[in-house]
Amino acid sequence: MSVENLKAYIESGVLELYVLGDLSPEETLQVEEIASQNPEVRDEIAAIEQAMEQYAMQNAVEPSADVETRLFKNLGLSEVEENVNVQPEPIYTEEPRIIRLDGSDAKVRTLRYALVACIALLVVSTAALFITYNKLNAAHDQIASLNLDKQKFAGVVSKLEFENQGLDNMAAMADSKEWATIRMAGQAFSPASKMKVYWNKKDKSVLINYVAMDLPKTDAEHQYQLWALVNGKPVSLGVFGKTDSTNNEALVKMQTIQEAQAFAVTLEPMGGSVNPTMDKLTVMGGV
Amino acid sequence: MTALKKLTLTEPELVQALQSKDQAVLKTLYSMYSSALYGVISRIITHTELAEDVLQETFVKIWQSAAHYDHTKGRLFTWMMNIARNLSIDKLRSKDFKNSLKNQDIENNVSFVDEQNKVTFNPDVLGVKQLVDNLKPDLQAVLDLVYYKGFTHVEAAEKLDLPLGTVKTRIRLAIIELRRNFN
Repeated sequence: MSVENLKAYIESGVLELYVLGDLSPEETLQVEEIASQNPEVRDEIAAIEQAMEQYAMQNAVEPSADVETRLFKNLGLSEVEENVNVQPEPIYTEEPRIIRLDGSDAKVRTLRYALVACIALLVVSTAALFITYNKLNAAHDQIASLNLDKQKFAGVVSKLEFENQGLDNMAAMADSKEWATIRMAGQAFSPASKMKVYWNKKDKSVLINYVAMDLPKTDAEHQYQLWALVNGKPVSLGVFGKTDSTNNEALVKMQTIQEAQAFAVTLEPMGGSVNPTMDKLTVMGGV
Repeated sequence: MTALKKLTLTEPELVQALQSKDQAVLKTLYSMYSSALYGVISRIITHTELAEDVLQETFVKIWQSAAHYDHTKGRLFTWMMNIARNLSIDKLRSKDFKNSLKNQDIENNVSFVDEQNKVTFNPDVLGVKQLVDNLKPDLQAVLDLVYYKGFTHVEAAEKLDLPLGTVKTRIRLAIIELRRNFN
């Protein structure tokens, strides 16, 4: 085709009709034939196409959103499908099963870890319990020994209090003008014994002081009895003797006696006797 | 999603993916061109439901006959636009459509469609519409018929009572005018 003919062909408007799809199949084939041989025709077609495309773009109208949904539904295509590589069907059906197995494996693993943790916890707990038990036993032992100590100290304290009371009294008696102190010395029955008895000159009361006596220990059936010798006759002033451990009084008030020349102590059966058992005369001293 | 971010691919990429039946590309294609194609369709068919049906049919046809597209014969959009135009014209002439428009004939449709179209123009395309309006009236009349109404140049010649050659020349001059404005 000559240059003039080509120019006339382009200007005939057939290429515009070609782009608009307004040619018969025969005419269309002819245009394509000519275009394949002539770059000018191809360029012209391209320019027309671009103009029509831009024109269409500029006159675009947004369709409603559900057209797209319906379209993909109609075509049987998943609407949200965005990835290029679509997995074949069998892989899809297989995958959930694999995931499920993985899931249960993970669960078993988790349970195994939990079991190990439980055992470890049990071991630690047992050890802790054992240590605590030992400590508790040690504490019990300590408490017992402390209790023993406490009792011992309490005993010591009460003894000290008892002695202190007696000693206070002895000191008071020594200073006093009111009280007469009668010393009784050991007799044949118990030569090493000695004892003091205090006699009030005013009210005639008689006191004895456990601290101020040194007499042999009595057995369960016997106790000591204090006598006053009044004009050669023995008068009982009462019994004494530390038979009762709860008695913490060092001083014991005996019966009063208006007058006496001497005091004596005999060992008598429990409760005392009417008359003194002279062969068991332990101590005696005159006023 | 597509309304927020338009997916784009180059034309060779689109064609290759389309012809290898890549499902994802149809989504991209729809995102890129549905509104441009709907612009063409909705000017030929003003009935919204029918126009949307045609848009759907257009994409179904694009998907199904992608193998027939030959890039040496023209741009992908030209091919798609002609599918849209042909389906629109088919619909316009179908019994279906005529029934839905209460048996108005094509010529009555033209004025009816024309009135409807003025309402559907959105502000973004007012400049273009104005551009077309600024064409010489004889050029615009021809372009309106063949582009907006789906007339063939033969039908346009009959409608305007002009020789075929004149119609063809006027179409060419109108498009040259568009080319000048876009370039």
